[in-house]
Amino acid sequence: MREFSTGRKITSFGLMGLGAILSVGGLVLAIMKLLDNFRGAMIIGGVVMFFVGLYLFPTFKHHRSIVNVIFLFPLLFAFAVTVIVPLVLGIGYSFTDWDGIRVRGFIGLENYIRMFKQPGFLWSVLITVLFVVFNIILVNLVAFLLALLCTSKIKGLGFFRAAYFLPNLIGGIVLGYIWQFIFSNVVTKITTAIMQEQTYSMLSETKTAFIGIVIVYVWQYAGYIMLIYITGLNTIPGDVLEASAIDGASPTQTLFNIKIPMIAPTITICTFLTLTSAFKQFDVNLALTNGTGSVQNFFGNYLTNGTQMLALNIYNTAVINDEYALGQAKAVFFFIVLAIVSIVQVRVSNKREVEL
Amino acid sequence: MKKKVLSVLLAGAMAACLAGCGSTAGSDNGTAASSDGSAKVGAVRLLNGKPEIDSQLQELAALYKEETGNILTVETIGGDTNAADELKKMYQADNMPDIFVIEANQAGTWDGLLANLEGEAWTNNTGFELVDSSMGTIGFPYTVEATALGYNADVLKAAGIDASTLTSYEAYKTCFETLDAKKDELGLTAVLGWCAEPANLGWSSGTHVFGQYLDAGLAADDTTYIDLLNDGGKVDEARMLNFAKFIGLMNDYSDPALLVDGTYDQQVAGFKEGKYAFITQGNWCVTSPDDVAFECGFAPYAFEDGIDTIIAGPPSYWVSYSEGNVAGAKAFFNWCAGDSAQNILVNKAGLVSPFDDCQYEAVNPFYKSMKTYIDANKYSGWHTMLKKDGLQNVTCVVFSDYAQGKLDAEGFATTMAQVISSYYAN
Repeated sequence: MREFSTGRKITSFGLMGLGAILSVGGLVLAIMKLLDNFRGAMIIGGVVMFFVGLYLFPTFKHHRSIVNVIFLFPLLFAFAVTVIVPLVLGIGYSFTDWDGIRVRGFIGLENYIRMFKQPGFLWSVLITVLFVVFNIILVNLVAFLLALLCTSKIKGLGFFRAAYFLPNLIGGIVLGYIWQFIFSNVVTKITTAIMQEQTYSMLSETKTAFIGIVIVYVWQYAGYIMLIYITGLNTIPGDVLEASAIDGASPTQTLFNIKIPMIAPTITICTFLTLTSAFKQFDVNLALTNGTGSVQNFFGNYLTNGTQMLALNIYNTAVINDEYALGQAKAVFFFIVLAIVSIVQVRVSNKREVEL
Repeated sequence: MKKKVLSVLLAGAMAACLAGCGSTAGSDNGTAASSDGSAKVGAVRLLNGKPEIDSQLQELAALYKEETGNILTVETIGGDTNAADELKKMYQADNMPDIFVIEANQAGTWDGLLANLEGEAWTNNTGFELVDSSMGTIGFPYTVEATALGYNADVLKAAGIDASTLTSYEAYKTCFETLDAKKDELGLTAVLGWCAEPANLGWSSGTHVFGQYLDAGLAADDTTYIDLLNDGGKVDEARMLNFAKFIGLMNDYSDPALLVDGTYDQQVAGFKEGKYAFITQGNWCVTSPDDVAFECGFAPYAFEDGIDTIIAGPPSYWVSYSEGNVAGAKAFFNWCAGDSAQNILVNKAGLVSPFDDCQYEAVNPFYKSMKTYIDANKYSGWHTMLKKDGLQNVTCVVFSDYAQGKLDAEGFATTMAQVISSYYAN
């Protein structure tokens, strides 16, 4: 049986030990704000040494696992730093009075109780749900129809596919400002000319502004979802379609009895994507209306955030109103709702796929 | 073997790169060595919140180094980025500048982290410094801005209107009627360029125009209505109703194409082109004499008889981070209040100096009118900056609804009172 040399063992343990000492030492120096010019090199050098030592670890049995860990480490580390740690910290902050600078005290569930007492927040939840429902239906419907068009035998398919997808390449903020110009400067000029009196932009009225956001969102997102539907439609085996044609199925029968059931997994993906994306709507909302719009009587209150979706409400609470802890509490609530809705939606869709 | 050597080399290169990045960042924190080697106060980092004067501040930094040997590094933030938010990120990242910009109501957030500048030489030459009851003198005023109803003096003169008589609702009503009747003759599109669009101009209606309710007609240090507001969101009903009537008058005579859907650019362009006789902005909207071919002036928001003040003061301040280079910041502030720095800030950046001993007259077309009010002590404070953060996003929607005709004057006053009290309660 092969054995490891003493030199290898010493190198491995030595590098791991030295690496750990250097890394921890570098971190301590960073916390104490000492030796600015060396601590970065100490931490990075320590981490590299540690992993080299780990790679040379004298074991045959676990060597493959160690290699896997070394290769996975950068990804897991980045995931932990950018997702897991902020999530845990965010949950922690939501129980405090954090103002973005300091935590002055632990206040328990006060932020959670307070947010549900805010009529404006409840309104944001309500219109976000409405927005999601409208968008799941409209985006998928429009995208599916466009996909059918783009998988038919019309001329210039490439152009149509590119044209429908193009809005998705424009950022939401830019898109919001473009459409704001269209609604406020172009549409109003046309309507003023037709009505022979000054008309205002549809963005100045809460109900019509909401419709405006839906229109822009569908315009932006339908092209992207269309591409997924096109992929789904192209995976339907040709012989099945051919057999149905020989059996005398009409185009409508083919669509509802062959195509749609066979792209059920695609529908699942698309509804899931639309659901989560619509829930997280932020950029178009910010650029188009900035959440403004009045609601004359919402449980006896006059609201001024008529078109403010949940994500924008969270942002405004934290950044504009300077209430970071309350914003965090709302974000935690948002995370829980989104997680539950997504899990339920995927479960239901998967079940339906099996049945189909 | 080659692969292993390559791997080690690559890993080494990565470590060297990252270590290199670390050491570069660290080198900025040391005391700066001056070009002439004399004893200095160290390098100072300044976070500027006005992107439009970035190049002038870079010039200021160069002059500061030339004259004193001290290094000033100017970092600019602005546009759509919120400086207050960015500062919080900087604080969490332990990357705070030594000097940064704040608005008056943000001082509380930095409680205990701002240096007391009391007794510094520059404080003897201005009355615009930011003084906090618990932290002392904390804010250096780098400019003074004013807001009121800006007007085109040539148009008013041509219409036979004396701007100094505009100190009551009735006077304004007569003035607006006269101008409206002579619109074609005077080449006006509308009497007033007032825009209550809330999504992009909420800061104008919700902060500046609303600020007139808080301060118009009061002495600069009179905090009656801001104190009432900050006492749980209370408003003076009678004053608010008078204010509402005046806003109603503005709604009636503003350009309908601008009033509800307009933009800041349209509003300012209309005024500069002589299409509007009045504009609801401050001296920042016209900064260069080349922008306009007429004389500019300010008139008060006289929603109550006898109101004859404009609002003037620093919209924001530079403060010194107490855990940063305070000595360097103090040295810079004292130098900045001096002649050579004021020359750049006034003549090149187009700012209005807050210092009494400044010999330079601002080039801003509104300056002459501003100075008249300030010299006559007819200016009120910018207490609108002391309201609860974010209130402007609530009040601006009420202005918009009023402009659209969804509310009348009484409705505006009661709705305003309700949304403000609700905002403070929640």
